[in-house]
Amino acid sequence: MTRLLIVVVVTALLAGLFWFGITASQGRAIGPTQLGRVMPDFSRPVFARYQAEFGETLSLPTGKPVVVSFWASWCGPCHAQAPTLEAAWRRYRDQVLFIGVNTQDRGNERQAEAFLNQSGITFPNVKDLDNRLGVDYGLFGVPETFFIRRDGTLQHRHAGPITTAQLSAQLEELLQ
Amino acid sequence: MTFELSLGHFGMASILLAFALTIYAMGSGIVGALKQDASLQTSARFAAFAVFLATTTALLVMLVALLTDDFSVKYVAETSSRASPTWIKVVTLWAALDGSLLLWAWMQTGYTALLALVALNSALRPWALVVMQGVQLFFLAVVAFVITPFQVLPIPPLDGPGPNPLLQNHWMMALHPILMYLGFVGLTVPFAYAMAALITRRPGTEWMQPVRLWTLAGWGFLALGKITGGWWSYEVLGWGGYWSWDPVENLSFVPWLTATAFLHSAQVQERRRMLKAWNILLVTLTFALTILSTFLIRSGVLSSVHAFAEGPVGPWFFGFFILVMLFSFGLLALRWEQVRDRSEFDSVVSREGTILAGNVLFLAMGFVVLLGTLFPLIVEAVSGQLVTIGAPFFDRVTVPIWLLIFVLMGIGPLLPWRRAEGQTLARNLAWMVGGALLAGVLAYTLGVRRTYPLLTVAIAAYNLVSLGLLIAGVVRPRVRQGLGNAAAVFTRYAYENRRRFGSMVVHFSVVVMALGVAGSSGYRLDQQLSMPIGERATFGQYELLVTGLFEERRPYKVSRGATVEVFRDDQFVTTLTPRINLFGNSPQPVSTPSVRYTFWSDLYLNLAGTVDPHDPAQQSVILRVVQSPLVAWIWIGAVILALGTGYALLPSPRREPMAARESVPT
Repeated sequence: MTRLLIVVVVTALLAGLFWFGITASQGRAIGPTQLGRVMPDFSRPVFARYQAEFGETLSLPTGKPVVVSFWASWCGPCHAQAPTLEAAWRRYRDQVLFIGVNTQDRGNERQAEAFLNQSGITFPNVKDLDNRLGVDYGLFGVPETFFIRRDGTLQHRHAGPITTAQLSAQLEELLQ
Repeated sequence: MTFELSLGHFGMASILLAFALTIYAMGSGIVGALKQDASLQTSARFAAFAVFLATTTALLVMLVALLTDDFSVKYVAETSSRASPTWIKVVTLWAALDGSLLLWAWMQTGYTALLALVALNSALRPWALVVMQGVQLFFLAVVAFVITPFQVLPIPPLDGPGPNPLLQNHWMMALHPILMYLGFVGLTVPFAYAMAALITRRPGTEWMQPVRLWTLAGWGFLALGKITGGWWSYEVLGWGGYWSWDPVENLSFVPWLTATAFLHSAQVQERRRMLKAWNILLVTLTFALTILSTFLIRSGVLSSVHAFAEGPVGPWFFGFFILVMLFSFGLLALRWEQVRDRSEFDSVVSREGTILAGNVLFLAMGFVVLLGTLFPLIVEAVSGQLVTIGAPFFDRVTVPIWLLIFVLMGIGPLLPWRRAEGQTLARNLAWMVGGALLAGVLAYTLGVRRTYPLLTVAIAAYNLVSLGLLIAGVVRPRVRQGLGNAAAVFTRYAYENRRRFGSMVVHFSVVVMALGVAGSSGYRLDQQLSMPIGERATFGQYELLVTGLFEERRPYKVSRGATVEVFRDDQFVTTLTPRINLFGNSPQPVSTPSVRYTFWSDLYLNLAGTVDPHDPAQQSVILRVVQSPLVAWIWIGAVILALGTGYALLPSPRREPMAARESVPT
């Protein structure tokens, strides 16, 4: 009887866990690349320089529309598009949160800091040291920019360097 | 109102027929087994064939609907498109959740029918069939009542969106899911036998022979399914890797591990009549884990790169998983006293000792991988926080366990049952450790300095020496007896002892793949280069030159790419054409790497960022360049594994009269 009890208890524990999983995943379920789907939540350490303003970790969802921009220190186009993002951030910062994600950069911590020094970016940047977030988002390459609506669904993804016009068009749509 | 009969109606009717017949087969099977009524049992077996016919009809109907662009069938409208080439339309059959579950149900009924056909008559057979039909009833119910792929749309669309671009991008998608399902579904048969053994209270060796073969088949398919999946991700996902510890990968890896453990411990039961309960536990666990992994992925509980397989079936699989857990482990708990072992091990240093130690390691690895995969969910449930467990964790915990398993793999087959003689053991070990040291020193001087790759090389050599000793141990005494020269004796041995020789081949394939993994993960070069068109850039020993951009238009896809010439020591080596594909109306670009495969090291180019040959302003492209040593040996090892597994599955040849005369002195 004890053995049967163990089976029942273990099954009940698993059942509880998975039932929680089913209910918690509703509306959080992701297709890594599909538009209109809810993008995965995340919580990542913030680069030290932004911690005073944005805290030690940044998590999605925030309740605001979000622009998530993946970059790496060795990526030329990321350097090139940094001013575009920074300008847009300064203009929209009250309505939209920008998050830079430093990915595929393990072992290059110093170069990543140098990237931030050079570009003078003031929106928060987080570290994706194990590239997990890149995998979760089905990252296509760097730079890549994701436009996430207030409800967490993906409005648009842009692979490659983004222009001011493309950025503003997406931001206007995010705010509608 | 007129009612038009469409293909969808035929499909639906076939599935409903299969469902009803399965209920009948279960009922007559149970009554037949309880009353020991042979004609009812036979009727249940025939019903299994009829069910298979019905599901085959359903599958063919779906195939015809896909090939004829019949968009009145819901699944076709949701996943296919007119412009797709024929092979993609065929593959679309399993490119989305609904179709893949239909395929699954079909295979489930196929395995049941096969079992009904080939299983020897025994007290276990009717119950094994009943359990098979119980599982198949669930899948048929899901197809018939939950996902309804055959639903007829009143106003059919003119065209559909086409399947997920990531799946259209590689022919491997024609193979990988089929192998996975053959593996998963195949592992239902051992479970059915284990349950039959518990129901009939016959946990002895009777169920071992069929179950070992069925498990070996399912295990082999699953291994190949996983490796082809790895190759798919290598060729499609664009990061030059084949394994990322994604939940999907992990969750199908765990039942494979428990099945591996069972394949080894089954021998202990056959030889020593021990580990009966343990074996039933392993088989049950394996099946429960296949259902668990299907449930977790299909329900979207764990997010993963396979998210396209999600759908509304989560709660159903949840219920089925709970049912399987309670029924199977509950039954095992009730019967435990009747199945547990009474005998004890003679010595740890014996074949059964190493097998048991290996079992512990396989299970330990399965446990940590499962725990790592579920950990984010557990943390979220307990504290509400979101965490991720990444590849570093899994690498750190599994690599040492793998190395220990390799050590056991070398020594285990050389040990006799019951108790090893110290002297022989010491001599064998001396040879093997010698081989390991030699290979280690050689690799070290050639520049392999990292701990794990170096250890892998050494243990690989140790295993090769072990295989050599095994073969020598067979061949030498027979040559001495004058049974022919070494080659003839060996060929004969391999021919007659298929199971044993097949296992040697599989062990050899594991060594080959281990070297591939060690090389490609330990010495991989990975760089992203911004390459101006017309200028050379250096990567490792190579020089790369982007000579131009191109565009190819097909009705169903547009490819844009770069032509890259590869040089080494100023010698032209090859031209690679990494590209980006856009399928149909999908906004999702799919990058397609271009790979130069060699035995020693792969060169892998993938485009990151955009490519536009019509844009005169585009002066450069961004390339992700990966050099992956020895990775080809993983795929070669997979072929060897398939051959070894297939060979071990062949029925043993009947002893020839010649051999019998020779072995009996007159």
